[in-house]
Amino acid sequence: MENRTDKNSYTLLFAVGMVIVVGGILAFLASSLSPAIAQNEKIEKQQNILYALGINNNEGSSAVFIDASEAPEEFKKNVTEQLVLTFKDGSIVKTQTRQEYMDEANQEPYLIDVKKQQNLQKTEGTRLLPLFVGKNPEGKTLYVAPIRGKGLWDAIWGYVAVDEDMVVQGAYFDHKGETPGLGANIKQTYFMDDFTGEHLLNDSGVFKGITVAKGNADPKNNDKNDYEVDAIAGATITGDGVTAMIKKDLGLYVPYFKTLKK
Amino acid sequence: MGLLSKKDSKLISDPLLDNNPITIQVLGICSALAITAELQASIVMSISVLFVLGVGNVVISLMRNIIPSKIRIIVQLVVVAALVIIVDQVLKAYAYELSKTLSVFVGLIITNCIIMGRFEAFALGNGPWRSFLDGIGNAAGYGFILILVGFFRELLGSGTLLGYAVLGDPIEKTGLYAIGYENNGFMLLSPMALIVVGLIIWVQRSRNKALIED
Amino acid sequence: MEHIELFFKSIFIDNMVFATFLGMCSYLAVSKKVSTAVGLGAAVIFVLAITVPLNWMLDQYILQPGALKWLGAEYASYDLSFLSFIMFIATIATMVQLVEIIVEKFSPSLYNSLGIFLPLIAVNCAILGGSLFMQSREIATLGLATTYGVGSGIGWFLAILAIAAIREKIRYSSVPAPLRGLGITFIITGLMAIGFMSFGGMLTGGDEEEKSDTNELSVMPVDESNELTIQATALEDKLTQVNQ
Repeated sequence: MENRTDKNSYTLLFAVGMVIVVGGILAFLASSLSPAIAQNEKIEKQQNILYALGINNNEGSSAVFIDASEAPEEFKKNVTEQLVLTFKDGSIVKTQTRQEYMDEANQEPYLIDVKKQQNLQKTEGTRLLPLFVGKNPEGKTLYVAPIRGKGLWDAIWGYVAVDEDMVVQGAYFDHKGETPGLGANIKQTYFMDDFTGEHLLNDSGVFKGITVAKGNADPKNNDKNDYEVDAIAGATITGDGVTAMIKKDLGLYVPYFKTLKK
Repeated sequence: MGLLSKKDSKLISDPLLDNNPITIQVLGICSALAITAELQASIVMSISVLFVLGVGNVVISLMRNIIPSKIRIIVQLVVVAALVIIVDQVLKAYAYELSKTLSVFVGLIITNCIIMGRFEAFALGNGPWRSFLDGIGNAAGYGFILILVGFFRELLGSGTLLGYAVLGDPIEKTGLYAIGYENNGFMLLSPMALIVVGLIIWVQRSRNKALIED
Repeated sequence: MEHIELFFKSIFIDNMVFATFLGMCSYLAVSKKVSTAVGLGAAVIFVLAITVPLNWMLDQYILQPGALKWLGAEYASYDLSFLSFIMFIATIATMVQLVEIIVEKFSPSLYNSLGIFLPLIAVNCAILGGSLFMQSREIATLGLATTYGVGSGIGWFLAILAIAAIREKIRYSSVPAPLRGLGITFIITGLMAIGFMSFGGMLTGGDEEEKSDTNELSVMPVDESNELTIQATALEDKLTQVNQ
């Protein structure tokens, strides 16, 4: 086979051809499918927020969203306001309503990219914090905040619904690639439900966060005042990631909740 | 197997036992460890690899006479990666729920050495039909071990199979738990996958002495 | 300090082989002799040390959403992150092919003993894993990315060296015949991995400091009037923490 396929010119030609063909296919696919993908992701975000509010089709132990076809309508009905808080140098300097933000940025607040905002906080010290105000099925007003962090393999994120005392009323977590059966179980109802009723602030109003603790004294999580939930066995790093993202991201909202109490 | 000649059917049956990709060829170990804490994940991964290896082997085999040998690794990787990304993007657009289940495996499939290993060892030198059979056979052998490991780890580790509690409820103390049985949480940790595979190798080589290394 | 921490973290705590189980195929297959293990280990360090920073630059300046800003404002909205898999893989495969050509030229004996596993470095998941972790853990600078690449490589090198040494010695033990070779290697690796899990506690001291940092940050006052009370409660809280 000492033939044309060993020639440098052929190799080069082949490489160029391959790049063009594969690149073309991928670029075509990405651009033609991106509207459909973006639409799916939009609906998923709505479903996530609704889930944290307690609006879902849960059956037994598996987490089930409400139908994708119903999501936009339910979202409109149950999420009454989407606030955008501007965080700068340790405090919240501006609060915008959905309408004000839409006029300025031409984008729904729930589509704000949390990852991008986290990077902005790192580089420029300022960041937009979306906060969704909605009603749970019992008619209670809740505030849902998005959070994002790192697990063992890749990104993890979630939505936490709290009442005005910052007591957790619902949580939804998701992940990009945690280990199935271990870290991936953060999106199981038994883990997410544990957060309900946990306090984020102590009695004097200091933010404590919620620690995903292994071997804690209260595995059935009866004590809702210990700032701890039970960890998933074998998923230490993912659990630490959940702890960290609650501390880092939810902590930023504390000043806003303090203004609510006045 | 009336459709297949004897030689062809060997391509499928060999990798199932005597030339198993995981226990004999030592290919595709990483994914066997990463995802076998749950039976369901093992099954999903096996099916995905079956698809990618079958199609990939055919594509590489069709291209085998035009691939320049100097850049064959890059070409092979590009073919797998492109194949997986295309499937991932299409699923994301039209079957979003399914794509979320599969997204975890995308990276694992691309870097699964079983795929490159079979491209390199078989598809580059054989015709498309035989390459297809080889791909299917090896993926099946791989899946067989994966499902076996997943079965034991989920059963002993969490007392469930495919998420259903088969041994009773550990909190309410029913079924086996009533007589003092406890789940072995250790089985869920990845190192135990290594040890389970080691034990499978032990069993396999005790049955077939020809495979014993000295 | 950041570099030293990341370096040791990537060698011991996040060891590619024992913590994330990446690069297992070549690890198991090329660890029969210490000499070949050293060769492959060195190749992995080399490839990781080059590809991680290279892919970091790709990610920062081409792939990330908004990474094309340097081309001009109109490119700022492009998001090419769907290409990251294929770009990373292409970089890696190119580098591996380069290493293959170099090794073949200068050390034919090493080339022969590495056999099929040299091309397989390209799919050695440790290599792609290194680049993907670099991306998902959002490593901040080029220097840190290099440190991470070298550290992970050394961690992998250490792992394969250790198992090769054990395998050379274990030949003199009476392992049950069917377990000899691959079987016992699997089991030993499992036990070593369990041992390496104990490194997990090594750097937890740093987290505590961070915790009190966020506490302070989060109670920053909204306005002047309640500043004093909040600071007082924060102090009180810190005191109780210290007392505990």
